[in-house]
Amino acid sequence: MTNSLNDMRHAKSLIFIGSNAPEAHPISMQHILHAKEKNNAPIIVVDPRRTKLAAKATDFVRIRPGTDAAFMLGLINVITTNGWEDKEFIRTRVSGYEELLAVTKDYTPEAVEEITGISAEQTRHVAKVLAENRPTSLTWCMGGTQHSIGSSITRTFCLLQLVLGNMGKSGGGTNIFRGHDNVQGATDMCVLADNLPAYYGLAEGSWKHWCRVWDVDYEWIKSRFPKPELMQLPGFSLARWYEGVLGEEKLYQDTPLKAMIQWGCGANSNSQYNRVVQAYNKLELLVVVDPFPTMAAAACDTDNIYLLPSASQYETSGSVTSTSRQIQWRHKVVDPVHNSKDDYQIMELLVNKLGFADKFYKNIKQVPEDLTRELGRGALTIGYNGQTPERIKKHMENWHTFDIDSLQAIGGPCDGDYYGMPWPCWTDEHPGTPILYDISKPVAKGGLPFRNRFGNEKTYDSSGRTENQLAAKGVCNPGSEVEGGYSEFAEIVPGTNWKTDLSQKTLKVAIARGMAPFGNARARCVVWNFPDQVPIHREPLHSPRPDLIAKYPTYKDKQKHYRLDTRFESEQNPELVKEFPYVITTGRMVEHMGAGAETRSNQYLAELQPEMYAEINPRLGNNLGFRDGDMVWIESPEGSKIKVKAFFTERVDEKTIFLPYHFAGVLMGESLIDKYPEGHAPYVVGECGNVVTNYGYDIITQIQATKDGLCKVSKA
Amino acid sequence: MARLKFLCDTERCIDCSGCVVACKEGNHVPVGVNRRRVITLDSGKPGEKSISVSCMHCADAPCIAVCPVDAIYQRDDGVVLVNKKTCIGCGYCFMACPFGAPQFPKGEVFGARGAMDKCTFCAGGPEETFSAEEKHLYGQNRIAEGKVPLCAGMCATKALLAGDADVVADVYRERVFQRGSGSNAWGWSKAYDKK
Amino acid sequence: MQRRFSSVVLIALTVLFAGSAFAGELQAGGAVTGSSADYYGQLINVITGNWQEYGQLFTLLQSQWFSKIFLVVITAVPAVFLLHYLIIGAKHFDHDGEQIYFFSLFARIVHFVAAISFSLLVITGLMIIFGSFFGGGMIIRTARYVHLVSAMVFALPGLLMFVMWLKEMLPQFHDIKWIFILGGYLSKKKKPVPAAKFNAGQKMYFWFATLGGGIMAYTGYIIWGFGATVDTVRIYTMLHNALGIGIVAFYLTHVYMSVFAIAGSLESMKTGYKPKDEVDILHSLYKY
Repeated sequence: MTNSLNDMRHAKSLIFIGSNAPEAHPISMQHILHAKEKNNAPIIVVDPRRTKLAAKATDFVRIRPGTDAAFMLGLINVITTNGWEDKEFIRTRVSGYEELLAVTKDYTPEAVEEITGISAEQTRHVAKVLAENRPTSLTWCMGGTQHSIGSSITRTFCLLQLVLGNMGKSGGGTNIFRGHDNVQGATDMCVLADNLPAYYGLAEGSWKHWCRVWDVDYEWIKSRFPKPELMQLPGFSLARWYEGVLGEEKLYQDTPLKAMIQWGCGANSNSQYNRVVQAYNKLELLVVVDPFPTMAAAACDTDNIYLLPSASQYETSGSVTSTSRQIQWRHKVVDPVHNSKDDYQIMELLVNKLGFADKFYKNIKQVPEDLTRELGRGALTIGYNGQTPERIKKHMENWHTFDIDSLQAIGGPCDGDYYGMPWPCWTDEHPGTPILYDISKPVAKGGLPFRNRFGNEKTYDSSGRTENQLAAKGVCNPGSEVEGGYSEFAEIVPGTNWKTDLSQKTLKVAIARGMAPFGNARARCVVWNFPDQVPIHREPLHSPRPDLIAKYPTYKDKQKHYRLDTRFESEQNPELVKEFPYVITTGRMVEHMGAGAETRSNQYLAELQPEMYAEINPRLGNNLGFRDGDMVWIESPEGSKIKVKAFFTERVDEKTIFLPYHFAGVLMGESLIDKYPEGHAPYVVGECGNVVTNYGYDIITQIQATKDGLCKVSKA
Repeated sequence: MARLKFLCDTERCIDCSGCVVACKEGNHVPVGVNRRRVITLDSGKPGEKSISVSCMHCADAPCIAVCPVDAIYQRDDGVVLVNKKTCIGCGYCFMACPFGAPQFPKGEVFGARGAMDKCTFCAGGPEETFSAEEKHLYGQNRIAEGKVPLCAGMCATKALLAGDADVVADVYRERVFQRGSGSNAWGWSKAYDKK
Repeated sequence: MQRRFSSVVLIALTVLFAGSAFAGELQAGGAVTGSSADYYGQLINVITGNWQEYGQLFTLLQSQWFSKIFLVVITAVPAVFLLHYLIIGAKHFDHDGEQIYFFSLFARIVHFVAAISFSLLVITGLMIIFGSFFGGGMIIRTARYVHLVSAMVFALPGLLMFVMWLKEMLPQFHDIKWIFILGGYLSKKKKPVPAAKFNAGQKMYFWFATLGGGIMAYTGYIIWGFGATVDTVRIYTMLHNALGIGIVAFYLTHVYMSVFAIAGSLESMKTGYKPKDEVDILHSLYKY
């Protein structure tokens, strides 16, 4: 989130696209409804389903799954043709705007209607509402990202906010809700295949930076890899790791994967889940660390699996990062019960056994405080260094002194700090940055410009135009020594820049000069290192509109995508829709969480949602000849199928079928409940919706496309 | 003495069932017995609305009137409680209740209903306050601890309000006033929306 | 039992699963438009059926009327009979004279079982109605269990009596005359009254006990398990209680007649024999 949940109270309008907050992020709703009630803020919900959030919306916009980018470009088209764009903001803080207009000019409301199914009138109406009610808070969640063009879709969201001038403003921003209390923290630690912690990437310099932080020899780390080049090659992504086991596709490493540790990961959130199960059985070793046995415990036919009972969040402590980038301290409530151990203990045992504890724990004497300190020392890119355990705990102890609207402490021991010191929090004295890219405040008081990361000048491929990438003259945070754009700070300490200067002198110097360590640049509309430099609409890999495939084809196939090849063009078959006529999309239900291992093991939640089902429009169900409550087979083009109960509802339209993805314990019609360890079967088992989610991955992030596949349905 | 009341704001209720689960977990209510539940009308259609319902602790409560064994009583603060040792599980209170609040766990004999169970406003029961027996039969006594009921305490959107009737009414009045000041007021979008 | 208990839960759960696979039930009303009052009206309907009509009526009857009426019945009826006993007194017949075989052994056994179970039903039923008098709790809970078991026990003899005596219990013209003279019980004279094997009073009790008993059994069964919609349960409960008033009144009458009003009448249900004298007077049309 560029802003915070609390800051959404200041929005004058809110637009949600691919987000169902009442089910996925219920606590955010108090701030959203506050804005609705207090500011009369219109709430626009764009979704293929009439969700529970739509029930609270002033406008519900039903969109065909996977066409979000087209709708956003259409909104920009209407806004710019009517002159509603924030001209001053664009002039001073945005680059590549003309190149953006060259793309959006084709996305007229009528063209958008053809692609998305949203009437031209409604697109115009939404654009007008957004233009008249600024600032707008824009929220997206997995509904915006899990597409083969997910990275383009999310960029169009940002572009809309840039065009409207809603970035860096209270009540505006792009506010991506993260799941539980530490999903943002997990992201910041980059539990990813292509990044070191705090988004440092995999370049040699990044490795060396972290080796300095960890105080270990870079050469030793290097020696741990079979080949030095593997060190900088992204690994297998979460979405496709199983291909590395199955070995049916070309792999960009010497051997298939042999062992797997799933730590707090109920993998039935993986698309193509039946292939995950095949991979489980092919692995030589599978270790599942979880408070509850995940489906892996039941799905493995072989005895290659070890279940390590881990403690829940109430049985351990440590720092966590919330969706609003706030770092909080999680205190232990009880000691781990039964024979479970907390994650730190499990990690320690593992590290000891592997024999490098001396290096691993070099800076860590006190768990978990030293963990927070060590990562803060290294994670300079995102300013994790000001949030010391002492400060975090002080914030927790003085909750009552923080203002619910501004999040700032009014008096008391934390006076002036923003709650949780939202990152970046550059120094021990910095209050945290409640709103990113906000140039109305001095940097030392939580203000920031846009980051200068991609050079100072660029000539665009599409137009040949050269543009300065730094912010315009006179546009900077109050008190800035340079009045206008400036580059990122480097060589304050020779041989380092603001990201790698562990002495943090660079940060302090920059802030003392009233300037942001990362420079003051423009937000880019053109991303020259992406396949679509300006995002455009491309049809989902498995599109229900063969006519549109020709006009909006997907990408060329991608080689060496992480450690695999990913099919795009060769997978997009206009004939597919004839056999698989319905769009399948997935999502959450409020009662269950993620893969559901925990919530389906809670009797009360199990009671509330005791069964897997597929949401089907009554008209579709009646046309296909089955009734509400009948069992139906849903089959994917990949040949997998699930047997679920049909639940007739008008939430979905006649072409779309919705599946909640929290269920597990039944695989392609066969119950595995007897295969759970004795006494540990969850109260509720059900088919995994992800068995039938289709092939399809984003070209940049390789996130799975679970929201826009195709399927066929028949009565069981 | 303060009169305790519940109020559920349908504009705020998002059908998350958090109140239901908080109540059950906190009071160890058996599966199948719902002291509180969330009801949705027009699910998935325009105009979908949800509301969390439990015992409303009525003034002049019908359940008290119909109970053949006088097992139900009202405290001075308005909380309606049942004495489970007196209750015979006849079900008359369920028939009389305008909110469907009384619940009946399965009894021991002939499939008879056990003693009636319902929302206690987290005020325990007739047994000695904070005694093990009170906790076992009725759940927590948060009112005696000076806390609000679990359901309202955890409500994410503050749709569910519980407490002193005057305070609850003031909170709600303020909300209605805010909503009434603009386009969220009932009828305004129909009447005054610019097309 | 299991199944019927489930139905209790189901009523409650129907609403619980709002937003899940059961929500379809709740959508019948269509879009809510208009004021919040309409919305609440619709909502109340979903949870509690037609409370305005049946719930309120039930509440009124149960809280204000049923127990009072029962109180009147169980005090006024015996009081009237006490007066009758004191003023008019019991009828005496010659138990040493000629005896007529009136009830077969089978009929007597059936009647005996019915009498015990029916008495228990009445007694436990009254205990439930006046539960607060006994302080509720275990004693009344036990009364409910006994009520249920008695009902199940009564079902068989009730049915057998129905079949056995159906023909004799059919209303006849002379029953009207019997009613006009109240069976001659207001007179001390022994004048033959118009009745065959069973007089009009017995016939009325018979119908109350068998057909009425059947209705009581069915409604009781539904109430016990909440085996219908809440409105139906409400109606059945009101019916059960209202019919109970009549049955209790007739039960008391029957007891008075057999034990007090006709001296030695109880004997005929033990031995099967009635004095010829008695039959000639009270069942003058009976052809033996």
